[in-house]
Amino acid sequence: MLGAAIIKDTQLLLRDRARLATLFLLPVIFVAVFGSIFTSRGEEMRQLPVYHEPGDRRAAALVAALEASGAFHTTRYERAEKVRQLVAEGDVLAGLIIPPEFDPRAGKPAELAIDEGAPMQVRGPVEGAISGVLTAAYVAGPRAEEFSVLDPRTPPGLDRPLAGAGGFQHAVPGNAMLFGFFLALTVALSFGEERTSGTWRRLLAAPVSRPVVLLAKLVPWALVGLVQMAFLFGTGALAFGMQVAGSVASLCALTAAVVVCATALGLFIASMGGSEKQVGAVGSICLLVMAAVGGAMIPRQLMPETMQTISLATPHAWALEGYFDLLNRPGTTLAQVAGSIAALSGFAVVFATVGAWRFRFDR
Amino acid sequence: MAILQTVGLGKDYGDVVAVEALDLTVEAGQLTALLGPNGAGKTTAISMICGIVPATRGNVCVAGHDIATEPFAARRALGLVPQDLALYDELTARQNLTFFGRLYGLSGTLARQRIAWALEVAGLTGRADSAVSRFSGGMKRRLNLVAALLHKPRLLILDEPTVGVDPQSRNHIFETIRALNRDHGMTVIYTSHYMEEVQSLCDRVAIMDHGRIVALDSVDHLIATHAAPMVEIGFEGDANTVEQALAAVGIAGPGVTVADGTAQFPHGHRLGAAFSALEREGTRLRSVHTQAADLESVFLALTGHRLRDD
Ligand SMILES: Nc1ncnc2c1ncn2[C@@H]1O[C@H](COP(=O)(O)OP(=O)(O)O)[C@@H](O)[C@H]1O
Ligand SMILES: [Mg+2]
Repeated sequence: MLGAAIIKDTQLLLRDRARLATLFLLPVIFVAVFGSIFTSRGEEMRQLPVYHEPGDRRAAALVAALEASGAFHTTRYERAEKVRQLVAEGDVLAGLIIPPEFDPRAGKPAELAIDEGAPMQVRGPVEGAISGVLTAAYVAGPRAEEFSVLDPRTPPGLDRPLAGAGGFQHAVPGNAMLFGFFLALTVALSFGEERTSGTWRRLLAAPVSRPVVLLAKLVPWALVGLVQMAFLFGTGALAFGMQVAGSVASLCALTAAVVVCATALGLFIASMGGSEKQVGAVGSICLLVMAAVGGAMIPRQLMPETMQTISLATPHAWALEGYFDLLNRPGTTLAQVAGSIAALSGFAVVFATVGAWRFRFDR
Repeated sequence: MAILQTVGLGKDYGDVVAVEALDLTVEAGQLTALLGPNGAGKTTAISMICGIVPATRGNVCVAGHDIATEPFAARRALGLVPQDLALYDELTARQNLTFFGRLYGLSGTLARQRIAWALEVAGLTGRADSAVSRFSGGMKRRLNLVAALLHKPRLLILDEPTVGVDPQSRNHIFETIRALNRDHGMTVIYTSHYMEEVQSLCDRVAIMDHGRIVALDSVDHLIATHAAPMVEIGFEGDANTVEQALAAVGIAGPGVTVADGTAQFPHGHRLGAAFSALEREGTRLRSVHTQAADLESVFLALTGHRLRDD
């Protein structure tokens, strides 16, 4: 019976181009857009055009220090105007102009060409890094290149993150959660579709127990969800260079918990009743809000403290917490994401129990 | 042996009593109709018989199995043709039948044989691999019917199977039902609000109104017991005058209608008295017809209103 339902729903799905596109194509487009925004911005932030007078050895040493810091690719231009122009045209984020009379102690700083209206998240790191390096080099004098004031170290208790993790490290799991949990809406709507097509009465009149009727509606979609997740993480890894630092088996276990949770949420939504239109409208709003609050779009780490706490009320947040560790911290094991899996399972049990209890077969 | 027995079967939806208390026994081999206007409670009764909705009161026994305590055995003996089309539009006829067969545990060679047979019965063998969405209304109705036959149920229940069907498909469906009853010994329950259908198809009719069975008998017996032939008089003159003249000689009440130059009343009334009354009023008669009684008149006699409003 379950096998027959899986075959039937697969046949129906394969004929439904729109649904196939929303399941597989749309999330990839989202991943591509979100992932590349953060990644290419990083590259843009590294480009630093500079100007100083040709024979200015002290300025040249400062530039060499910037280059040596590894944070910037510097390019020297013949005219200060050219540097300002590059910034004004948006080709680079910032430019540096070091005058011959450069002497910060005497109140003669270098000029940083930068759009002062740019968001603080973008300006801050650039300004901070440049002023840090310049200050250090200025104090150290000619020995600038051997000089380092900071040595970044991950404290014990946190595993060291992968070097150079790009924007896709969040864009892939983030969008996988955004779209993965939309499976709940698909599941909820599919009950309505079964009723509209009249076949629900045939299912109920057949010698099949009520729990099996429910499973016959849920299991095929859970499988579709697994295929969708495999496709998204697979595409993320192969096409977008997403890296998995931890164990792949744990990634699979976490993902399975996500799919079960989303399917159970679908039963829960279906059990609330309402017309197909209401379910579609209310359901998609709720899922979007949950995804946003849960950090699927903007990483939770960027949220204020209270918001981070609130977001733990969504299964999305717990899942993303686990994915963050698995993708970014080498050596992450199943035990380290067990908390996420347990939380997702807890959500799933609550959704499924309340859903099955409230579900009305004869509506 | 009774293949279906309901005792005091009833269903309430909140304050609405959809079915009051249904006592219905159907013997193997019978072709029984459930005739009643829209809202009479036919579909609700069938839903309880098939165990789709739980009954508020009473019980149902199908082929000796109580639907509440032995639902699987009872449902295996049942085939339901739902009132609303129950097909996956995007799948082919064969894919639909394959899935519905699996609901009854049919697979492999047996499933293929039954599906081929069902397609033949529906006259859809040539269209087996077309998507149902490309079918005409009549083709869908035929497929909807045979989808309930795959497991060869002992009791076939059809809920208004001819709604929205062209005359040709309707005949096809009628022939199919007769053949299933005659050649395969299937017991049939047929619900409808079309009395012509019931009259031509069924040997036994349960007339339902407001959630109750008001009569259950053979068509002939029902007509003989409850309905007289009708007389229709065409006249020239004022309908109100005619109505009063007829009422004065006792021709009034349910079954009597006077409007627009025609008066109708059951044959039982004294014709001579009617004619003299009209004569006295100076009404000119244009025509007199007598009409054989039918289930419509039975329904009118039993309930005081018509089967259909149109
Ligand atoms: N699910 C339901 N909820 C509330 N009322 C219902 C429901 N199903 C049927 N009814 C009511 O029960 C009565 C009988 O309906 P139904 O069984 O569909 O009649 P029929 O099939 O003879 O047209 C109607 O008054 C209908 O409005
Ligand atoms: Mg009905």
